[in-house]
Amino acid sequence: MLLKRICWVFTLVIAASASLIAGPTKEAGKELFVANCASCHNKNMKDDLTGPALSGTEDRWSAFPRKDLYAWIRNSQALIATGHPRANEVWAKWKPTVMNNFPSLTDEQIESILLYIKEPGGAPPPPKDPNASSAAAGEEGLPWTYIGLAAILLLLAFGLMRIVDNLANVSRVKDGQAPLHRTTYQILTTKGAIAFLVFATILIFGYKAVDNATRMGREQGYKPDQPINFSHKIHAGINKIDCQYCHDTARRSKHSGIPGANTCMNCHSAVKKGTISGTSEITKIYASIGFDPITGKYMENYENWTDKQIEELYKKWIGQEYMSANSLTALDENGKSVVENQWEGVVKALKNDSNGKIQGPIEWVRIHNLPDHAYFNHAQHVSVGQVACQKCHGKVEEMDIVYQYSTLGMGWCINCHRETEVKFKDNDYYKQYERYHDELKAGKRDKVTVEDIGGLECQKCHY
Amino acid sequence: MHHDNGIWVGAEDLMRDEAFAQSSQSEFSVENIDQTDGKWTASRRDFLKLMGFGLGAATIAASCEIPVKKAIPYVTKPDEIVPGVANYFASSFVDGGDYCAVLVKTREGRPIKIEGNTLSGVTNGGTSARAQASVLSLYDTRRIQHAGTVKDGQVEKQEWGVFDREVKAKLASGNIRVITNTIISPTAEKALGEFLAKYPGASVVSYDMVSAAALLEANQKCFGYRAFPHYKFDEASVICSFGADFLGTWGNPIQQAHDYAKGRKVAGKKHAKMSRHYQVEGYMSLTGSNADNRIQIRPSEMGAAITALYAEISGNGGGPKLNDKAAGAIKKLAKDLQAARGKSIVVSGSNNVAEQIIVNKINEMLGNLNNTIDFNGATFSRQGDERNVAKLIEEMNGGQVSTVIVWGANPAWELPNAGAFTDAFKKVATRISLNTNLDETTLLCTHAAPAHHYLESWGDAQAKAGRYSLIQPTIAPLFATRQAEQSLLTWADSANLNATSDQPYYEYLKANWQNSIGAGQTKYLTQDAFWEMSLHDGVYENAPHDITAVFDSAVAVDPGAVSKPSSSELEISFYETVNIGGGQYAHNPWLQEMPDPVTRTVWGNYLSIPLEWDGVNNINGWKGLVDGDEVQVEVNGQKFTCAVVRNFGQAPGTVSIALGGGRTAGGCGVGFGVNVNPALKQENGLTQYYAADVVVTPTGGKDKHFACVQHHHTMGVKAMGTEEGKEINVDEKSLGWKGFQGSLTDRSIIFQTNVKDLQSLEHKLEEFHHEAEHLNSQTLYPDNKDYFGTGMKWGMYVDLNSCIGCGACQVACVSENNVPVVGKKEVARHHEMTWLRIDRYFYGDFENPKVVYQPMMCQHCDNAPCENVCPVNATNHSMEGLNQMAYNRCIGTRYCANNCPYKVRRFNWLDYTTADVWPSNEERVFHVEGEDKPYYADNLVRMVLNPDVTVRTRGVIEKCSFCVQRIQEGKLTAKREGREIMDNDVRTACQTACPTGAIIFGNLNNPNSEVSKANKAAGALAYKVLEEINVRPGVQYTAKVHNANEELFS
Repeated sequence: MLLKRICWVFTLVIAASASLIAGPTKEAGKELFVANCASCHNKNMKDDLTGPALSGTEDRWSAFPRKDLYAWIRNSQALIATGHPRANEVWAKWKPTVMNNFPSLTDEQIESILLYIKEPGGAPPPPKDPNASSAAAGEEGLPWTYIGLAAILLLLAFGLMRIVDNLANVSRVKDGQAPLHRTTYQILTTKGAIAFLVFATILIFGYKAVDNATRMGREQGYKPDQPINFSHKIHAGINKIDCQYCHDTARRSKHSGIPGANTCMNCHSAVKKGTISGTSEITKIYASIGFDPITGKYMENYENWTDKQIEELYKKWIGQEYMSANSLTALDENGKSVVENQWEGVVKALKNDSNGKIQGPIEWVRIHNLPDHAYFNHAQHVSVGQVACQKCHGKVEEMDIVYQYSTLGMGWCINCHRETEVKFKDNDYYKQYERYHDELKAGKRDKVTVEDIGGLECQKCHY
Repeated sequence: MHHDNGIWVGAEDLMRDEAFAQSSQSEFSVENIDQTDGKWTASRRDFLKLMGFGLGAATIAASCEIPVKKAIPYVTKPDEIVPGVANYFASSFVDGGDYCAVLVKTREGRPIKIEGNTLSGVTNGGTSARAQASVLSLYDTRRIQHAGTVKDGQVEKQEWGVFDREVKAKLASGNIRVITNTIISPTAEKALGEFLAKYPGASVVSYDMVSAAALLEANQKCFGYRAFPHYKFDEASVICSFGADFLGTWGNPIQQAHDYAKGRKVAGKKHAKMSRHYQVEGYMSLTGSNADNRIQIRPSEMGAAITALYAEISGNGGGPKLNDKAAGAIKKLAKDLQAARGKSIVVSGSNNVAEQIIVNKINEMLGNLNNTIDFNGATFSRQGDERNVAKLIEEMNGGQVSTVIVWGANPAWELPNAGAFTDAFKKVATRISLNTNLDETTLLCTHAAPAHHYLESWGDAQAKAGRYSLIQPTIAPLFATRQAEQSLLTWADSANLNATSDQPYYEYLKANWQNSIGAGQTKYLTQDAFWEMSLHDGVYENAPHDITAVFDSAVAVDPGAVSKPSSSELEISFYETVNIGGGQYAHNPWLQEMPDPVTRTVWGNYLSIPLEWDGVNNINGWKGLVDGDEVQVEVNGQKFTCAVVRNFGQAPGTVSIALGGGRTAGGCGVGFGVNVNPALKQENGLTQYYAADVVVTPTGGKDKHFACVQHHHTMGVKAMGTEEGKEINVDEKSLGWKGFQGSLTDRSIIFQTNVKDLQSLEHKLEEFHHEAEHLNSQTLYPDNKDYFGTGMKWGMYVDLNSCIGCGACQVACVSENNVPVVGKKEVARHHEMTWLRIDRYFYGDFENPKVVYQPMMCQHCDNAPCENVCPVNATNHSMEGLNQMAYNRCIGTRYCANNCPYKVRRFNWLDYTTADVWPSNEERVFHVEGEDKPYYADNLVRMVLNPDVTVRTRGVIEKCSFCVQRIQEGKLTAKREGREIMDNDVRTACQTACPTGAIIFGNLNNPNSEVSKANKAAGALAYKVLEEINVRPGVQYTAKVHNANEELFS
């Protein structure tokens, strides 16, 4: 009977936890959208890009079974081939642009994306790092396992208490005393039980407090919106630009360096339109540094230009490009709104409280923030240690929007210092470590790690 | 009488003061703690409430969103700037006649540190405390930020164009006077010349706050050069100084200190020879404290002392009578000098022409002229003559002057006759100031045309004949200020100034260098290369070498014209300190908080009084006064009240006080110390830095915040225990200013000897090392010999014989390591934060002791007592031999500071750098008078912080790190270049600042490193402080050796 009850409770707990993990969510949808759809579909859902605007997708497909929409998203060409009317309607309009296939998306994931498409607005909290998502999910699952276990233990404890109680009663009866019939409430309110409860609460909360305190200020997965929708995937991934072409100080300074607009201009004085964004993003660079894309020249005395003058110039550029792309001789209504929208975007990206002008630096949102008391030097790691950028920053070349890949916690640093082998033989600097060289020669040691040359010591990073 | 215990720090320790032993039972100075402040009256319930609130606050803080931080790149990144990497620019520190060739370290375009320029033949890479601190005055919040008219203590802003039109209209009529201090810039002189040529009737009045006018006049008369000669202290075997502070403030101190120390290095030399230095003076100057022999006189006897020496050497008497003791000593001094013909130097700091002529004659007779005294290296550090000022006052009173331009000088405060000057000055219609701050004189002006700080300026300097150096801007002007020379040239409508250029004075300077200074130069092929390379190097040296000075026989030597000894009971000396100078540096907090090397007081000037020995057991302050007692001083018709500090070496019947206190306007020095300038007398128009007929009356009051660091953080002191009835050790039982600490035990802190007894000291040290080794081997924890055996092991070497106590290292350390300024009240509570202190010890005769300076910083013990007691392992050891301190780990138990035998750990009692966010922590932190924000809370001041060093917050311990940021940087450079580390890769801030090379740092594991070689060369003279307690310090000292004439007073 007791066993049955325990099993029932356990099942209930498992079911509850499962239902809490599952289900489509908007957050998951955003993540999926950004990873899979955003390179072709406009994030604002209202404007066309390489692919059509997605707002209202569900309504347009409402006449058909839901699974048709799933099939369409997973493999559009297959659905078109079946002669599906809605599918062919879209194809007719967007031919020859073929939508990518996403056979791996589950129904639930598609639902998440649709949820996000329906309400893309607001600023949902930064997503977790997708590469670490399995670990994160594991972490979320963990408490429920514990709760289940705790419940079992509690029930066991309760059962034991009853047994102890019964045995005590048996011995009382043996001694000729009247048996005591304590209710569950009475048992639970004994001094021992309360003390245990208090102790357990303090322990759990204490653990949680310390745990959360250690995590304070860590921003793994931090993925803020940037003033320019700059895609590392396009630059470092598709176009294979070396990281240190733009982040050129990484090899010689503690800072990796955010490239100045003049570095962008090395290419963008020629590449004036983005494959995806068209004029909307690159114009921001021009407006920052004062480059006239129509004449291909830098403006004289740009810092003294009025906002009005700048607006005229770049609106002309955007409009001109819109017209040539659509083979128009004058701006149509849509064109006018494109110009307005893009110009608004430029102003929003460049003008802010600290810089009231359109001219001037592009203020990126800093993603990797070490605390002030931690000293980190890029040159040490990039030039001397020859650590690949990706080791700490993840596969940036696959990221459209960069996020913080690593925890940047001290334990993470320390682990790497424990494991990483020093380029001991290649660098004459390490000649001074004579003993290690002797040991290597004698075969007493097979490698020298960063730890061995003092890489775990406090004052290597804190001073 | 000699003290059998060897070394002492103060009077009470000589006397084994019992009161001291009692008060030593408590850890802190109770006297200085405001009892009403921070009294804990909370009950248990309050405690719980606070704890609950704390938890709640922490929870809320934890759930707050992390603020969005921006990363803002350049629009167009300049090629030469790499964020995170420092750039160095060669420049020159010039303030009046003070000069130092420097390299300015800039990070992301802002200057943060001054280093010496080793290419300079004048300073040889050395610096001074003033040069080191000069970067802070760039970020002075009290600088005038724009041109305009001065009204009600404010400058009402005017655009430069409008301002110039107004000024030019005023200049158009009437006579103009330009008041300056010494100008050593040839191009500035040229600009000034153009200005004077444009306005007929204009002339320059130049004076110096601490005058050398008599010396200049004497040299002009005797030799035809109005300058200091180059004194070759390194070649002299006998040096005699009549009150000239040539190591601190007189002549060309950085070079003189460098040369002086060179002639006194004995460590590692087989047959040690060193110069013998006599100092004849009343108060103990920095130079006097380094002397082998001090002959104490009353300041009014200076003339008598000089003529006494002259009489001995020339056989011609005729001067006033000197006291018998000094006269006897002078006879022996004369013998020494005569024995070192052509290899001696006699200098005098007096401002009396007759005395200076006699000194010149003595040098000539001793054959020093053109040998150790060389006019090829004439020094121009002082050019002014205060006699011009008297004439100017007359002219101003007579209405002959319509416009006065004040450039760098501050006559309304620094002149002895400032009152008369002020009255006359107000009668002038137009008064223009080119000064950077709203100082006393600028406040009296009608117009302010603020000049740039030198780090924002173009300019040049000729500190010594033919040795030129350039000043280049290291930051764009912070405010709407303008180069002073440019202002003058603009007002002169100079045709040579290209007013439409971005940097008009740059072009003017360049043209002057290419066409005039570098005309005919053969070092570089083209004049452009000459300019570029000179700018790169910072210096261009083309010193003359064919000058032979001849003493003009027509000059009369008149012993009768020297100053006459007074018969008054008490005399007073006024002197310039190495930190705030004559007061022109009083607004620099780093210099204010740097202890005066001799009195070791900070934030103000105090009256030094002599100590008196009753011949038996007691050594008391004059009139029974103790440190911090307030007295009223009446001298020269002036009265001022100040606190006293007892000072060994102060001649009986004399007192002394530093100049530079009591500034009334212009910055953070306001309110500290007393202004003694009005008490200075003038004789024949020349300012005399002493006075007779002084009356000192105790007021019965006390300076509540008397700040003297001599008895803070002392090591190994002992006193007579009241209960035990015998001597006890009293380590770091800090006391208030009232009680001194007890006597030093015979612990191995200082070893000293006379050069004659060098061998016996070597034997003594050998025995001592042996004994210490024996003691240290009695341990249960044997060495892990392998631990430091591989890679680098950092160590330091300090040569006490080279250290002159000038304090440049201390300020360099403050600048490099973001050490906060705490202010006078905090220093009075023993809370000064300096990582490096210079301890001052006495030995020898009570009444005329010798001094040993000892730079003391974290010793980086390999068996460190501090590391074992830290409960959170915040301080621990690195395999490179560094005693590491992790601030973010420290919880502030201060166990380490208590357990440190060297007392070098500092605790952040308050949030001195305003590093945390709680405003309530800021209340007691150092504020500049009249400002509501703490000093470091101002973003302008914070620009001086070194971005590579953490700014510490309240509640953590900090200490010397051996400049670990420089070590890491040097290692990285070597790694990136794929080579072993070299000496040049890592140099600590104190090492590079030192003008005498007393500090050497490097890798002990490399037998060829400078430090290893120095350690080895020091041989038997080397020792480690407290070697016998087995802490195994990483800093090695060498014993102090004096070259005393033991028969001097017998």
